[in-house]
Amino acid sequence: MGDRKQAGDEEFRAFVVGRWPRLMRTAFLLAGEQHAAEDLVQSTLERVYVAWRKVAAADDPEAYVRRVMINAHARRHRRRLREFLAPRDDSGIVREVADTGDRISQAEDRGVLLKALAQLPPRQRQAVVLRYWEDLTETQAAEAMGCSVGAVKSNAAKGIAKLRAIPELSGTVMVGGRK
Amino acid sequence: MGAGREFDHGMTDRGIALLLADAAEGVEIGAAPTQAVIRGGRRRRARRWAVAAATALVVVGSSGALAVTALPGGGGQRVAPATQVPASRTPGVAEPVARHLLAVGVDQGRTWQVDIDVWPAPRDATEARALLAAMAAYGEYPADADEPSALVGRSAYFVRHGIGEAEADGTLTTEATTTGADRMTGTDIETVAVPLDPTTQGPQRLVIGHVATTARQVTCTWKDGTTTEVPRATGSDVDSDDQVIRTVEGSPYAWFVCLAPQGTAFESARVTQ
Repeated sequence: MGDRKQAGDEEFRAFVVGRWPRLMRTAFLLAGEQHAAEDLVQSTLERVYVAWRKVAAADDPEAYVRRVMINAHARRHRRRLREFLAPRDDSGIVREVADTGDRISQAEDRGVLLKALAQLPPRQRQAVVLRYWEDLTETQAAEAMGCSVGAVKSNAAKGIAKLRAIPELSGTVMVGGRK
Repeated sequence: MGAGREFDHGMTDRGIALLLADAAEGVEIGAAPTQAVIRGGRRRRARRWAVAAATALVVVGSSGALAVTALPGGGGQRVAPATQVPASRTPGVAEPVARHLLAVGVDQGRTWQVDIDVWPAPRDATEARALLAAMAAYGEYPADADEPSALVGRSAYFVRHGIGEAEADGTLTTEATTTGADRMTGTDIETVAVPLDPTTQGPQRLVIGHVATTARQVTCTWKDGTTTEVPRATGSDVDSDDQVIRTVEGSPYAWFVCLAPQGTAFESARVTQ
């Protein structure tokens, strides 16, 4: 019994180490800030730990983790809605200190996008991040968000439309390649 | 912006993906805090069992009578049920849900219906625990409040729709929690489009949405270019079967439903008055 528990902990530890970077990036896009992203990933993984035996045995553990993270994000966002939607300068959102032209430009672009994401309603932000960063299908995103495929389509379309309407963003993408 | 860039003013989907990927690179990836995560997970597991062991809760019904209910997953460890309402609680705060009919209609001979359940906002964790238990009895679980403390001060709603024989049960379409501060203004609108028959993957003909309580007309546009206007309910049609914008007691929003004609599906919706 003790051996099995220890083996489960080892397996979970390996899972956390393997998934941490990717989860942090997704959480950063959802939460918009370094510390909030760390909190979101940590609390997500704590919940995953509680159900680890079920998760480890699942066909797609990633799907379970995504669902937990989206739920946790929704919960946090509602608590901090005013804080995140209030106009603010970049200091709370973008941590980079750019010291050359390119780095300044890169940090500015990131700041614009993160600010724009932060201003989307949470469901739209989740749909955009899951579809366009996680590259999930509409069905996978619907599973993660616990809603219909139609709701994903609607939220993603609205979120993208709002991002496209931001002039600073539409001017930051090079045709056919990276910035 | 850097020099020498070629701009894509249309900003393609790929452009959005690239921007997101670039922004995601901005996060600092430290070492995974595996020990802290495991410790936190163990704490959560211990807390969950502690909650499960104290699942007997008192829900005060509208009649004032006491009913004892329980959270699922008690695992056989039960304590004696509480039999007294805490002195701080106003009797009736955990009343059964208020269910409102948002829309009803007939499509190809089958009756369909959209309902919303609205639960009052609990004032403290004790009330929240009772409410979560009462919701569970209705098969309703707020996704963003899996702990009582997360529900305090928040009203929960659950929208269901059904058609034909399953009409009465309905399928959960959307749910969330709100506070009075979550009001919408002006032409704000949020919609969900789903197949009318929730058991199929058919076209998204049924549109359920919420708008500011001041909105007087919503226009739904369908893929074939036709539109449907949904007016604000007036005194005479509040209780009618017409598709109108309805105020729902306990919700900070006004709600509407519109159904696309046969052969087309949802394209967009906006507040037009």
